[in-house]
Amino acid sequence: MDSKKILIVDDNADIRLGMHLRLKANQYETFFAADAFAAVAEARKHRPDLVLLDLGLPAGDGFIVMERLKQVPFLAVIPVIVVSARDGLGNQKRAYEAGAKAFLQKPVNDDELLAVIRRALGEPAGTKKPTLYDQGSV
Amino acid sequence: MTESTRRSSELTAYLSHELRNALACIHQFGNILVDGLAGELSSEQREYVGIMLENASKIRKVLDSALDGTPDPIEESTNKIERVSKLET
Repeated sequence: MDSKKILIVDDNADIRLGMHLRLKANQYETFFAADAFAAVAEARKHRPDLVLLDLGLPAGDGFIVMERLKQVPFLAVIPVIVVSARDGLGNQKRAYEAGAKAFLQKPVNDDELLAVIRRALGEPAGTKKPTLYDQGSV
Repeated sequence: MTESTRRSSELTAYLSHELRNALACIHQFGNILVDGLAGELSSEQREYVGIMLENASKIRKVLDSALDGTPDPIEESTNKIERVSKLET
């Protein structure tokens, strides 16, 4: 079975690498973009099954990316999960209004991220080796 | 909105963004190490990474409290101890 493709959009290279390692360990194929312009270009190129989208980006922000994705029929159907360091109050509401499937505030719990991804992709809930952090002891 | 309120709000947003991104990296890579995604750790190494993650988690709780107004569990527990002490005296 082909791996599902996930586009990681974040201007922080360390975050991109960390997400890539976690997603790769869970059998997802990843692609990357570091700004709003590249996000749309990479989405056109790879046609991912899902987009993990930061809000604070160079060359526009995550909301602009969602607007641009909606303008292209084959990109408009891709589920978007916002993963942002911005405060959740106004941004969460705005993200849902813009069509996001979920809003997660950094730092994100790995289990929660994977559960939200699986739900957005229509996959069954999976299991991951629990970590100290996931067990609530950290 | 006054100029000082606006600047304060911008500073809060900036601090939230920068600190949460840095914490996200610490959590991500700490858990990657603990989960063995970069190779198995010895029990001592796991313990040390666990200490690192535990302290990162404390910073996150303080940050949530300071920036988002959610209750700070450390402060709450201190207040509870103080209240109990007052009741006992």
